[in-house]
Amino acid sequence: MSTFATGRGLQLGYERVTAVAPSDFSIPAGKLTAIIGPNGSGKSTLLHALGGLIEPQGGHLEVLGGSPEAAKSRVSYVMQSVAFPEGVPLSVREVVKMGRYPSSGWFGRFSAADRDRVDRVMDRLRVTDLARRHLEELSGGQRQRVYVAQGLAQDHEVLLLDEPLTGLDIVSARTIDEIIHDETESGRTVVHTTHDLDEANAADHVVLMSGRVVASGSPAEVLTESNLRVAYNLGELHESTGLIVDDPHRAC
Amino acid sequence: MIDWLVEPFLLGFQQRALIGGLIAAVMSATVGVWLVLRGMSFFGDAFVHGVLPGIAAAVVFNFNPILGAAVAAAVMVGAVELIHRHTKLREDTAIGLLFVGMMALGVVIISRSSSFTGSLTSILFGDALGVSWDAIRQQAILAAVVIIGSLVLYRPLLALSFSPVKAEALGMRPKLTHALLLVLIATSVIGSFQAVGTMLVFSLLVAPPATAALISRSIPMMIALSASIGAVSVVIGLMLSYHWGTAAAATMALVPIVAFLVIMEAQYLRRRFRRQAEPVPAQEVTAA
Repeated sequence: MSTFATGRGLQLGYERVTAVAPSDFSIPAGKLTAIIGPNGSGKSTLLHALGGLIEPQGGHLEVLGGSPEAAKSRVSYVMQSVAFPEGVPLSVREVVKMGRYPSSGWFGRFSAADRDRVDRVMDRLRVTDLARRHLEELSGGQRQRVYVAQGLAQDHEVLLLDEPLTGLDIVSARTIDEIIHDETESGRTVVHTTHDLDEANAADHVVLMSGRVVASGSPAEVLTESNLRVAYNLGELHESTGLIVDDPHRAC
Repeated sequence: MIDWLVEPFLLGFQQRALIGGLIAAVMSATVGVWLVLRGMSFFGDAFVHGVLPGIAAAVVFNFNPILGAAVAAAVMVGAVELIHRHTKLREDTAIGLLFVGMMALGVVIISRSSSFTGSLTSILFGDALGVSWDAIRQQAILAAVVIIGSLVLYRPLLALSFSPVKAEALGMRPKLTHALLLVLIATSVIGSFQAVGTMLVFSLLVAPPATAALISRSIPMMIALSASIGAVSVVIGLMLSYHWGTAAAATMALVPIVAFLVIMEAQYLRRRFRRQAEPVPAQEVTAA
């Protein structure tokens, strides 16, 4: 089985804060991987590192056979729907069009193929009717569909999604779930973060986090009672190891 | 009525004030859109005051004020970054410290001048009616840099305003874009202070974009409206200052702020009226 990413002694964080203690893991290519763990366990931080959005504090991370920075143009990252710029008059279509920026660059004109790609992904995510609406006029579910459309508009071999199914309405959850499975069926690698054990069980591969990678492997190997107890009851361990987490809302 | 409108612009110095003000307004209002969209208004305010020591030094030691302002702007940005990196303090604290520090330093330097009050007033509030053709030519070059820069950086600035993380993921180099935005803001401040003064240039940087944001459905529309509001504010401000005998730069600066307050209140009343007329929407069904 080919590998999408491998971490060896990988330590991650922001400025002086460590979010993920040195960890070893690997993520397969062409499969659906779920990164699961409690709030502040380092899920989003690991996703950012896989997308080349932050540099490791220590250890080694290989993505698509090279550095995460070199692989960045082949990876599409989808934000959480809770994050959106208030007061910025951006229409849904403009947001999806941004997915073409990596290929058109700072100044390049949008070609007919670019516009066609934007139309098709908006159709797939059922946001065509919302094209002229502003982000702040959308529900969380609609906004998440727009963000996934933006991710699909980008040329990619890997799709990284930050909690794409959390708290969505039924239509949005089903639409995005279909997209995730379509992507893996067409041979692309999909990695998403989640809080939901059912979503993790439905994946091909699971990375269990709690301030470090607790376990990485098939759902049956990783989602064991002992592993979950370690991951979700680690208040003492966090205090004794002095780990600093990346989420002030963490409930140990 | 026509006389009332034309009279303030009949003389040469009045026409130069109008042209200088229009250039300052259009460039400030254009780059100011990104300042407002990025939520950097406080930084902009501090930045505008931060150039004071450079201009003051130029007045006292007799060198080009544009050079002085550019050096002071670079020192200000460097010092904010230094405090942010070396302490756990939030960036706004660093900006606040530098805001006061640079302004105080400017006043200390200018107090060595023989005409302390006159020089300080001229730097802070500008000398719209004393703008020369040479100054207008310099302004026009800087305005071209700012407007072309804002257009060239449209996509990176849009991505940065959307989300710095997503901008990084899209390869739009958000850190470089942010640095270039600071250069554009500095250029705009340097190109405007002679016409409207360092203190009042802030009004043209923030008020027209903020007013445009209230009524715009897209960013290109916001840029066009912001530049138009800035330009109209200069014309109205100069007319009012002529007829009322008030300070030209201060009157120009007040017009877009009054426009903002009027439009904001009109929109609030319209929303309130609409809410009373609309039915309550159904709740969204959430997946288990």
